[in-house]
Amino acid sequence: MPVDQSVTRYLVSAAIALCVSLVVTLGVLYATSNFFEHPQTYFVGAPSSALLQTYAAAAAAVAISFLISLIVYMTLTSRARVDLAVWNNARSMALSREQFRRLYEASPIPYLTLGPLGEIQDPNKAALRFFNVEPEEIVSANIFSFVAEEDREKANQLAKYYELNVPIDRQELHMTTKKNGVRIVSLSLLDMHKPGTHERTGLATLIDVTEEKMLDQARTEFVSLASHQMRTPLATFKWYLDMILSGGAGPLSDKQKEYIERLDAVNRNMLDLVDTLLNISRLDMGKLPIEKIAVNVQTLTESVLSEVGPQIVKKGLHIVRQYNNALTSLETDPKLLRIVIQNLINNAVKYTPEGGTVSITLEQTGNEPRISVSDTGYGIPATQQGRVFTKMFRAENVLRLSETQGTGLGLYLVHSIAETLGGHITFTSEENKGSTFIVTM
Amino acid sequence: MADKKKVLVIDDDDNLRTVLVDKLNASGYEADGAMDGEDGLTKALAQHPDVVLLDVMMPKMDGWEVLQNMREDAWGKSAKVIMLTVLENLDHVARGVEMHIEGYLVKTNWSLDDIVKHVEEAANK
Repeated sequence: MPVDQSVTRYLVSAAIALCVSLVVTLGVLYATSNFFEHPQTYFVGAPSSALLQTYAAAAAAVAISFLISLIVYMTLTSRARVDLAVWNNARSMALSREQFRRLYEASPIPYLTLGPLGEIQDPNKAALRFFNVEPEEIVSANIFSFVAEEDREKANQLAKYYELNVPIDRQELHMTTKKNGVRIVSLSLLDMHKPGTHERTGLATLIDVTEEKMLDQARTEFVSLASHQMRTPLATFKWYLDMILSGGAGPLSDKQKEYIERLDAVNRNMLDLVDTLLNISRLDMGKLPIEKIAVNVQTLTESVLSEVGPQIVKKGLHIVRQYNNALTSLETDPKLLRIVIQNLINNAVKYTPEGGTVSITLEQTGNEPRISVSDTGYGIPATQQGRVFTKMFRAENVLRLSETQGTGLGLYLVHSIAETLGGHITFTSEENKGSTFIVTM
Repeated sequence: MADKKKVLVIDDDDNLRTVLVDKLNASGYEADGAMDGEDGLTKALAQHPDVVLLDVMMPKMDGWEVLQNMREDAWGKSAKVIMLTVLENLDHVARGVEMHIEGYLVKTNWSLDDIVKHVEEAANK
């Protein structure tokens, strides 16, 4: 029923109900007042109890007149009230439909409703803006036909998924637009089966991620360029120092050799730092490649130990190896694990005073491979332990030591790598007693 | 000496190229340098060296293009090439293997003596 008609009907019904009630009430009141004025016409002899009965009868008459009015009112307006409720519901539904429509139309995210095969039915404004077209240019075209040539195969696959009702969630695709060229989008397709019908429709959401991708690429290129530019001079130093040290530029005096060796050591530190920075930015960007193979952790540890051999000898440190015949074939990325072990052993060696002990324990407890490195070194002050794995952290007690230099990036890198490899790292430490770092994979 | 093996070093970095050529010459090779990809390709195809040390990132023509072009040549298709780079990249390693290179060496990871050893291995293969 049209809305205004039902309101009119309601108002007319209410008016009639009021009139009828009024007439009935007035009629009853008239009869009652008539009775009060001439009671003797009703009661012969008029006994005093009859007066009471008169009042009771009058009250009953008033109540009955109200009741009758109410019944008349309810009867006459019941249909109209139902109509009014329906009208109210219809109105609020129309409002929410309108709100939804506006939301759909004005949303900054491109939405398109699709037919059962992916044909575009109703693109919103953002979708038209995205493709840079008028509605008639894309309505009834297949959404997958806008996928650029390089992703054609993927698009065919997705079209098949859509037909089979498999949800598509944030798939990256290159899509062709009319004026903006090829854009990279994140496409999601949601099944919008119409209730009570077999008609299938879908809702496509396109999020333009081109800028994001370009930024990401620019960052990767910058990191790669910066590290290339930094490493080239370091490689030059390395090879020229090599050349001089190996006598390729004539014999060296002992003092010259010592100086060149010092330069070589500094150059190596510099290379390590550049590598660490590069690895950190790759990690931060999620670009650190992981290649898992069976790794013999014992051999890896030994090769790291041989690298720091000179410092171990110089400081007279005791190395305790507890390999327990474990982790001879751990499925992990050798390069990344090496960075982890290298940093932990380097730190232990660096932050343990002369004559101290560094222990390396390899264990396999149940399904959990575990690598621990403990030392009897300076330890980390209790108040600073919460920040150990943050970037650029260096404990206050070692900042004072002139012989230890560090970037504060090592443990941050170790922590990030351990997590990337699906493991985690914990530690216990006491100032002036030492630290133990445990990596569980 | 006629039996000296020939090595061509293609690297746009003057310093690195010079020290490599000097080191190889000092180690008993006949080494020559080329300062960019184009120059390198021309020299390689003209001189037919026993081993080519090829830098990846170079102006004009990068290492991969040089290699691609070399592989299209009758001599170049089986020439021994060692790629040199300052940046490790696993995709590059895979690409290099596909293009039958003898090695993919990150400059900062190897000493000059190591490089000479790799050249020796490749030359005597």
